[in-house]
Amino acid sequence: MVTTITVSILDSSSTALENEHRRMSRARLLAQALVAGGSVVAGGIAIGGLPGVALGRSSPEQDVRVLNVLLLLEYVQAAFYAEANKRGSLRGELADFSHTVGEHENEHVVFLQKTLGSRARAKPRVDFRGATQSAQAFTTAAIALEDLGVAAYNGQATNVTRTTLAAAATIVSVEARHAAWIRDIALLLPAVAPVDPSATEAQMLQRLRKTGYLGSP
Amino acid sequence: MSRDEPSPALELTELDAGGALAEAFSRTRTRAGLLRAGAGVGALLAALGAAEPADAFAASDVDLLNFALTLEYLQAAFYTEAEQVGALRGRARRAARVLGAVERAHVAALRKALGKAAVGRPRFNFQGTTENEQKFLKTAVAFEDLAVAAYKGQAPMIKSDALLAAAISIHSVEARHAAWMRHLFGITPAATAFDQAESRPHIERIVQSTHFVAAQPKTTGKGAPRYTG
Repeated sequence: MVTTITVSILDSSSTALENEHRRMSRARLLAQALVAGGSVVAGGIAIGGLPGVALGRSSPEQDVRVLNVLLLLEYVQAAFYAEANKRGSLRGELADFSHTVGEHENEHVVFLQKTLGSRARAKPRVDFRGATQSAQAFTTAAIALEDLGVAAYNGQATNVTRTTLAAAATIVSVEARHAAWIRDIALLLPAVAPVDPSATEAQMLQRLRKTGYLGSP
Repeated sequence: MSRDEPSPALELTELDAGGALAEAFSRTRTRAGLLRAGAGVGALLAALGAAEPADAFAASDVDLLNFALTLEYLQAAFYTEAEQVGALRGRARRAARVLGAVERAHVAALRKALGKAAVGRPRFNFQGTTENEQKFLKTAVAFEDLAVAAYKGQAPMIKSDALLAAAISIHSVEARHAAWMRHLFGITPAATAFDQAESRPHIERIVQSTHFVAAQPKTTGKGAPRYTG
């Protein structure tokens, strides 16, 4: 059973990348605790946590379950940007980012709702606890939510039918674009490793609950 | 920031000619390529540390990995040359350094997985696009958007779950790169809510049109990556 694949930076530029991480760390003002990504280790970058595969064979039934998990995250993302846009405390590129990404997340919600039909889960209650009040809090939260989106979709790639995978793949790369965009605004490396980490359903839910944004169901 | 910028990938077709890379792509479709691919399944299994039977990997998966490898060769060579030429400054220079290391890691991982079945590295001529910041960024945007569309188009066809998990995790990194390069180039990093996949022939046509491939590899490479530039 393959559970991890390691991609290492083997050539002489590995030091360049590690130096880059250090340099960026010095400039890092935001999101230190919440940033998820590959870890730099001696000799390269180890990527763990590719999902255990083929535990439960994919099926249309399982697709429904998986898509509902992803819909939960899309609901939270969409609500986050909607609140930020409504509050109107963002300026300049952050405001542009929030409006653009908010529209995308709304479209993702609608797409998943349509796909799931009557089996789509209800919107969760959310409380962003001031995360939309300031540029800094917004940026920190947006990075966490977008990186989580990438990890969540990647983690389900082998759990769904290939047809659903093809549809989900059109979304995950957009989540990755959002993540890179907000990271670049925040002067963090937009792409921290040769492969993105993935999160299992349990890991995704745990990280989502840890934000404290989810209210009672 | 306009949200309606056309992808520079489309503009690459204006550069036209060559055809060499398309040939490199098509090599893996020949009978010989498929035979090599079959022979490489053992190496692929070993690289992945899998205890699965050899027939768990279809020749089509190996063929598909070689297609990905050719795109990664192109990207890795491009950033490596940009870094070595040294004409870039500031954020573009930093990006070339980081992306070069990452794309080289993709190349190394794919070559290791493919073993003897790995397609050889073509020679590239980037025609000055690594020597000027605007040209560099525009080309980088095109390459990265192309890679996203390519991985997205191939992923659902991958038979092995282990390979799929790896490919999909590279796919999102290419999307991060695309957004990053777009941001530096001054166009919107995420133009639409859904990124569309592109077929292999479409990708091959675009790459062919760039004229960036100077020569075919004479043998399938086994050694460490060598750099152009």
